[in-house]
Amino acid sequence: MIIEAHDLRKTFHAKRGRGKKEEVEAVRGIDLQVERGEVFAVLGPNGAGKTTTVRMLATFTLPTSGSARVAGFDVAREAAKVRENIGYVSQAGGVDDTAPGIESLLLAARISGMSRRQAQARADELLAAFSLTEIANRPAKTLSGGQKRRFAIAVGLVNAPPLIFLDEPTTGLDPQNRANLWDEVRKLREQGTSVLLTTHYLDEADALCDRLVIVDHGRIVARGTPEELKKEVAGDVVTLRLEDTDGARQLLDAQPYVKEVRAEPGVVRAYLDDGEHGLMHMLRTLEENGLGIRSVSLERATLDDVFLKHTGRSLRDAA
Amino acid sequence: MTRHTMLFLGYELRKLFANPVWPLFGIMQPVLYLVFFAPLLRSTVPGGKMTDVLAMFTPGSMMMIALFGSMFAGFGMINETRNGMLERLAVSQAWRPAIILGRLVKDVIVLVLQAILVIGIAALMGLRIGLPEMLLVLLLMAATGLFAASLSYGLALTLRDENGMSQLVQFFAMPLTLIAGLFLPVSLGPQWLQTLAKFNPLYYAVEAGRSLFRGDLSAETIPVAFALFAALTALTLVWSVRSLRNLAG
Repeated sequence: MIIEAHDLRKTFHAKRGRGKKEEVEAVRGIDLQVERGEVFAVLGPNGAGKTTTVRMLATFTLPTSGSARVAGFDVAREAAKVRENIGYVSQAGGVDDTAPGIESLLLAARISGMSRRQAQARADELLAAFSLTEIANRPAKTLSGGQKRRFAIAVGLVNAPPLIFLDEPTTGLDPQNRANLWDEVRKLREQGTSVLLTTHYLDEADALCDRLVIVDHGRIVARGTPEELKKEVAGDVVTLRLEDTDGARQLLDAQPYVKEVRAEPGVVRAYLDDGEHGLMHMLRTLEENGLGIRSVSLERATLDDVFLKHTGRSLRDAA
Repeated sequence: MTRHTMLFLGYELRKLFANPVWPLFGIMQPVLYLVFFAPLLRSTVPGGKMTDVLAMFTPGSMMMIALFGSMFAGFGMINETRNGMLERLAVSQAWRPAIILGRLVKDVIVLVLQAILVIGIAALMGLRIGLPEMLLVLLLMAATGLFAASLSYGLALTLRDENGMSQLVQFFAMPLTLIAGLFLPVSLGPQWLQTLAKFNPLYYAVEAGRSLFRGDLSAETIPVAFALFAALTALTLVWSVRSLRNLAG
């Protein structure tokens, strides 16, 4: 087990005006177990407490209560040992804009205890691995977002840690760079590095991780592999657009092959295991009862449906 | 600990050498004062000799860069509180005080080099100063700069706002320099100003500088100034390192 967290909590005390204090419970009791070699995702909307959780695990912030062991060491009492065994890439990246990227890389290598020569060798290795050799000596502020992000991850990996934290690694990247970064993360797993990443992108968690937790308002609302979680909802989703949503919901709820129905104004979503067959029945039933539909679509259930099931709202709206 | 401080120092110096023009702008102000303002002061010293004017004015202009230059040292760090650099360093294996100490040593090195240039220009204009006195002046200036720079890092890490910080620095720097008699000794002024100046640490630094430039090593302001700035530096340094810890909330 590379990460074991029990009932982690973090409360911030923010000052609001004169004498007034506001308590913000960013994290309200998080339990995590991450296996060695696993890519583990923390999925949730903005403000769910993902970054705070990662910051506690990476020893940046002390938990208000609860405990966590990372790479076998306690984050509060043995922070120095934890730091030897992790890489941490924050959302902002942390590459010095005012210097060439190679400088950030070399400094990080030297801080982790390498000699000048070892640092140079490790830097060259990482530059090559992340296709950064050609732009190594360019001032970091002239680099694109994707290039900067690759530098940030290279810096995080400088001490070849068994575990790396990636906080929102693809936020703000274009689709091409996102796909490239996913490949990098997969390569890390092949090399045996454990990865804990946070994201608010469903497809990212779905595509990359072995297991995930879904967090909302500082709590875990679901955990498992992407397949387990989606199966929990249903295999497929049929989305119907029509006028009489209440009527349609009552009607579909009564059908044995439909597992669950959710209605919003103008839209009804029905969850069922075998969408291809169920859809035909569904359309016939609706027609027999005189419910006209404007459009229909059939999709595989996504993690958004899981989020919807547990929180009552869509991840897209929650952000 | 020393190793990490040296690493950060080396990193900062490499950055500086990659772009060495900025510190030159920093010394323009005292040099301009020396060239264009000092001659106006000839009527204020008995005899009106330029050598005496320079002995009185040069320490003030040096303290000006020690204070003004260093008070803005923390500016660059405000950005680093946002771009994740300090966050990353805080969870690296770096000894945390080294993050600030490395920068401070760089600031002091730049400051001393600037001061040597200023003394060189003053010497061309006719200033005469002995080597021990000059070394002591540089040391005193380094102490002042160390205090101002660590205060600046503390402010940067606490405020984390460029606008707020520049306002605050201006707000404090102006009265401090006026009440220290940076340009003209406060002894020329009324009693209340002289009394007020006694509460300003910078006053002792400027007066000690003037005594040293006059070759008066026995002046009591010299030990007072060194003791004062050693104590103040210790305080602001501890504060700035603690502010680094508070970054995490």
